[in-house]
Amino acid sequence: MKELIKKLTTTPSPSGREEKIKQTILEELQGYIDGYKIDKLGNLIVWKKGKKEGKILLDAHMDEIGVLATYIDDKGFIRIEPIGGVSPYNLLGSSILFPEIEGFVGVEGETSEEMAKNIKNLDFDKIFVDIGANSKEEAESLVPPGTFGVYSSSFRDLGNRVVSKAMDDRVGCAIIIEVFRRSTPIYDLYGSFSVQEEVGLVGASVVAFDIQPDVAIAVDVTAHSDTPKGLKRISLELGKGPAIKIKDSASISDRRIVEKLRCLAEKNQIPYQIEILLRGGTNAAVLQRTRAGIIAGTLSIPTRYVHSPHEMIDIRDVENAVRLFKIFVESEDSIKL
Amino acid sequence: MDIKTILKNLSNLDGPSGYEYKVIEYIKTEAEKIPNTTNYVDNQGNLIVKREGKGKKIALFAHTDEIGFVITKKELGNYFRFHTFGGVDPKIVISQRLRIHTKKGIAYGVVGMLEPHLQTEEMRQRVLTFDDLFMDVVENSEYVSIGDLATFSSEAFELNEKYVTGKALDNRASCTTLLYTLYLLNQYVVENEVYFVFSVREEDGTSGASTSAYHINPDLAIVLDVTHGDIYRPGYPKIETGKGPVLDIGTMVDYKYFEKIKNIAEKISVNYQIEPNGEHSHTDTDRIQITREGIPTLLISIPLRYMHTPYEVVNIKDIEETARLLSYFIATGGE
Amino acid sequence: MLLKELSNLCGVSGFEQEIRNFIKEKIKDKVDDIKEDKLGNLIAFKEGKNNKKLMLTAHMDEVGFIVSNIEEDGKISIIPLGSIDPRVVLGKKVVIGEKKVPGIIGSKPVHLMTGYEGISSFENIKVDIGVSKKQEAENKVKIGDFVSFAPNAMLHKDWISGKALDDRGGCSILIDLIEANIEPFYNTYFTFVIQEETGLRGSGVAANQIDPDYAIVIETTTSGDNPEFPEARRSSELGKGPVITPAHRGYVNDEKLFNFAIKVAQENNIPYQIKRRTAGGTDAARIAITTGTPSLVISIPSRYIHSPMCVANLQDYQNTFKLLSIIITKEVN
Repeated sequence: MKELIKKLTTTPSPSGREEKIKQTILEELQGYIDGYKIDKLGNLIVWKKGKKEGKILLDAHMDEIGVLATYIDDKGFIRIEPIGGVSPYNLLGSSILFPEIEGFVGVEGETSEEMAKNIKNLDFDKIFVDIGANSKEEAESLVPPGTFGVYSSSFRDLGNRVVSKAMDDRVGCAIIIEVFRRSTPIYDLYGSFSVQEEVGLVGASVVAFDIQPDVAIAVDVTAHSDTPKGLKRISLELGKGPAIKIKDSASISDRRIVEKLRCLAEKNQIPYQIEILLRGGTNAAVLQRTRAGIIAGTLSIPTRYVHSPHEMIDIRDVENAVRLFKIFVESEDSIKL
Repeated sequence: MDIKTILKNLSNLDGPSGYEYKVIEYIKTEAEKIPNTTNYVDNQGNLIVKREGKGKKIALFAHTDEIGFVITKKELGNYFRFHTFGGVDPKIVISQRLRIHTKKGIAYGVVGMLEPHLQTEEMRQRVLTFDDLFMDVVENSEYVSIGDLATFSSEAFELNEKYVTGKALDNRASCTTLLYTLYLLNQYVVENEVYFVFSVREEDGTSGASTSAYHINPDLAIVLDVTHGDIYRPGYPKIETGKGPVLDIGTMVDYKYFEKIKNIAEKISVNYQIEPNGEHSHTDTDRIQITREGIPTLLISIPLRYMHTPYEVVNIKDIEETARLLSYFIATGGE
Repeated sequence: MLLKELSNLCGVSGFEQEIRNFIKEKIKDKVDDIKEDKLGNLIAFKEGKNNKKLMLTAHMDEVGFIVSNIEEDGKISIIPLGSIDPRVVLGKKVVIGEKKVPGIIGSKPVHLMTGYEGISSFENIKVDIGVSKKQEAENKVKIGDFVSFAPNAMLHKDWISGKALDDRGGCSILIDLIEANIEPFYNTYFTFVIQEETGLRGSGVAANQIDPDYAIVIETTTSGDNPEFPEARRSSELGKGPVITPAHRGYVNDEKLFNFAIKVAQENNIPYQIKRRTAGGTDAARIAITTGTPSLVISIPSRYIHSPMCVANLQDYQNTFKLLSIIITKEVN
């Protein structure tokens, strides 16, 4: 499982430029699916036929947050804009990986006071990227405007905890891949690896249109409360199990999915948590309102430092999520809600 | 039809966004008493009541959900942290008793306020947020778990003959109006196919009305919601309770149908009020209008005081007059 | 180029009749099919050699206001439709409703101020139509009437100034493409949509009727190339050609279409620029999430959009037209 997560999280694929991760996911699924298709927007949809009539859809988004190089100045310094929720603070002291080269982030400041002030109120207008170019032309040849970049970060194995960029949502992709590898589904099992979730739940808005599943469950990361002076109003801890989502700011999970997952987890002694996310949303919101409506919910992996270059998860939560999904797709009353 | 009793019953039922079952069940029971109708509940939980007919399809929508709360964390002792469903002003929860629905039955959570004697000046001036609040569950706190839903526990009553007050009149007043409209329709010969959708998740989550509109694909959609009554809004006309239905106008409303329903109101002497909307109406109308290949929409509102508080207020006459207007309008085929 | 004429028509979001009727007259005999949908989008069709469908879209609406109340003293209260900075409306002429009742948005005389004063919301902004009592006003205007900046377009040698260049620029280009009688490669839908400024509301409805394989949105976009705005923060520059957008709010433009447009520009020596800011959204986002259509935005750069006085360069207009006239004859690759 760790190897799979490592492979997926280290593949650079920001929103709108998901080619590489799509190929990697397809490779990992080879031999475990009955077919796949790629729709007009680039969503990857895979399936494995079941024995009975009915469809379950599991969705994870393939894209990660990143930056867009928009302008090169006369001296070869690059200006960037965020793609998805990248905070400029997460770039200070860290670097960006463009396809051809790595770049380092600097801050404007004509005086030390101005520099301090800019850092206190940091935004993308006050930072720039330095790739060590000697001229505008040199920079433009390596990072022309319109080039996308991602966090430059590596995968770290700390035992139960693993750390990398893009756990959001490669961990969801990994879970779905493992479910396909380990399960013999009763109903037709669909996996959608959607594009451009981070900029506006774009891919998932259309991904279920033709599938029309009986049930759709998004697999994504969620917040945590278990760090010093962590969020005081919620209770989500790494290692205590995958989180069954009640609501977030984009959607309310269909209660029947919540109860079904909770029931299966308890019956099979799989640890789980109940999640309310105060700010943030997943693809479940747009899956739920596809066409005349789909019964939808989310299963989440509690994650620390979301949208930073070093997101941390507990591998046991991932394992338990796979176990729970395997039982779900192999149980006859999964779609009888 | 005893409108006041139905309204009070609906108000007292708990149905926060995503958990509207009891409200849907009650409305279903009431709808089944009305002849010439069939009904079903779709996969999102919307209740759709249908009157057979032909030609132009007219669909009316009223959301059944109310604002509410959910338990998010257990603190030491009997204290619980919570979050909201829909837009709630934290101040309005202070000194309220909230009704928590646990798997083992009801428990009550008090949201208390620290006594003034112990407060510092800074605490007295503070603008409260939900991070400052917690519920105190003195009995059955062992039943309460994270994810349990809660609502206000105010009991509806009559304020002075024509006025009813209670929680969730947003949007149970509109649900009552739709039921009454459905009832009144039987006094006309109605040719069109008419749908009455009692929908879910308007206050929070993804709107059930818009997926229902996708499914039905009506030729005309009329959304029933509530609007602010008897309160000064600079730049807006004065909307008053007791002065009849509010006909909303704006970019999310079909101007031709607006003129038609306005003319009908004048013809049958229904006093009406007009309310403008900017870019958004903040109701299901906005989404329904741009569903599929476009749906001509109307928004009609019941004036209401103290929206999203435990004691909202409506005037029964507004419900009666709105139903009178809608039933006549539908009977003419929306012409 | 009908940009001046289009700019001088009034079509606030939700009230696009005048624009729609004008465009329909101009193009109806030059396309294979034309129709108006239930919400007012205008969809014109030209058959191509290939069965795939290309949706070319521009929005007909401009930012403006709606009458929200008629006050006791006869003044008209307004609420904005679209994103408008309140400071751009002071001291301007407007027209209200189908009868185009003229009015002015006055401003407090400087003599009566102790220092310069700001203005932050529309609550204090009223339209004066020259009456002093509510009843007199009610004879001329009503709640729900549109309020538009008054027509004011002026053509200068290589430039145009006036209201609503966003997105009459796009509409004008679409009309020019039709009038040039170019044979499109794909089955092409020239789509003039409503209510973009109030939340991208018309384009999804139109896309649902077409189900396009590709979409190109023709917009008039932000620049910021003035002495008060630092160069590093500009969105585009006038005189540097059509603006091709890599990403904006809610959507990252399709990579294949993006590279294709740049290739066509380079191969045909058409000056172009890559948009430098990702702020703002367009119908490309709406179309992508509605029909799953890969989309691209190509824009005419303009200064001061969403105000009654925008400025655009006519060379940029011509180059944008040129780029699109070649793009529509080719297969996307």
